Amino acid sequence: MTRREPPRLALALLEHFAPDGTFLAGDLIEEYRHHPSRWRVWCEVLAAIARALRRQDDEIRPLHLVDLQPADAIARTRNAVLRPKPINLAASPIAGTGGLAIALLALVATLFMPGVWWLLGVALLAGIGLGVLLIALHRRTIG
Amino acid sequence: MPRHLLTDFELMILLAVLRVGDEAYGVQIAREIEATSGRRVLLGAAYAALERLEKNSLVSSSVGDTTPQRGGRAKRIFQVTPRGLRAVRDTREALVAMWRDVPQLKEKLT
Repeated sequence: MTRREPPRLALALLEHFAPDGTFLAGDLIEEYRHHPSRWRVWCEVLAAIARALRRQDDEIRPLHLVDLQPADAIARTRNAVLRPKPINLAASPIAGTGGLAIALLALVATLFMPGVWWLLGVALLAGIGLGVLLIALHRRTIG
Repeated sequence: MPRHLLTDFELMILLAVLRVGDEAYGVQIAREIEATSGRRVLLGAAYAALERLEKNSLVSSSVGDTTPQRGGRAKRIFQVTPRGLRAVRDTREALVAMWRDVPQLKEKLT
């Protein structure tokens, strides 16, 4: 049996990442009724998202020129250099997903491999230790 | 005014929009190209070309009605502008001029 609707996740991603993606999403839904190919839908969506991301990079961003005194410029530069930068302890490439990934891992471990909890505990402690070490090194660099 | 010559895909898109008529939107344009030329077209690629053409004022677009067949999403309907029509003619003239007096092609045509 073939579903009459294209993958919802694909359409949601398309409409989130591609400007004017709603028109293409409508076309994909219409086309899917004639040629129900999930593979084709995903190809279309990924290509459209790639194009949209590339177009964002190509946009010309105007320069924000301000009347800045030399003393202000020096102060701003000093602040920018010396401002402590946040450290991504979860080592996640996407901001805000580190905690979620850990929760998911814990759930999977509890359901399928409860025996590995000790290993997770050790890994957690090692992670905290590494974090503390990174913070200490970072502070020393600033100082 | 300098002549605006189109790429082969842009030319196909504009011709498809002209062939479909008043209700030329993504699916119809892609189907028209596939049916007429046998070239398979990604809808996203067609939209990218149409956006480029619209930026150059060769097509204009308007938002059509929403339909249940499209999950309640609207169509984006395209029309060829007079400038676009001129670009199609210019491109055809340029291609025909290139075609002329090529012995290998002449033999095949006769």
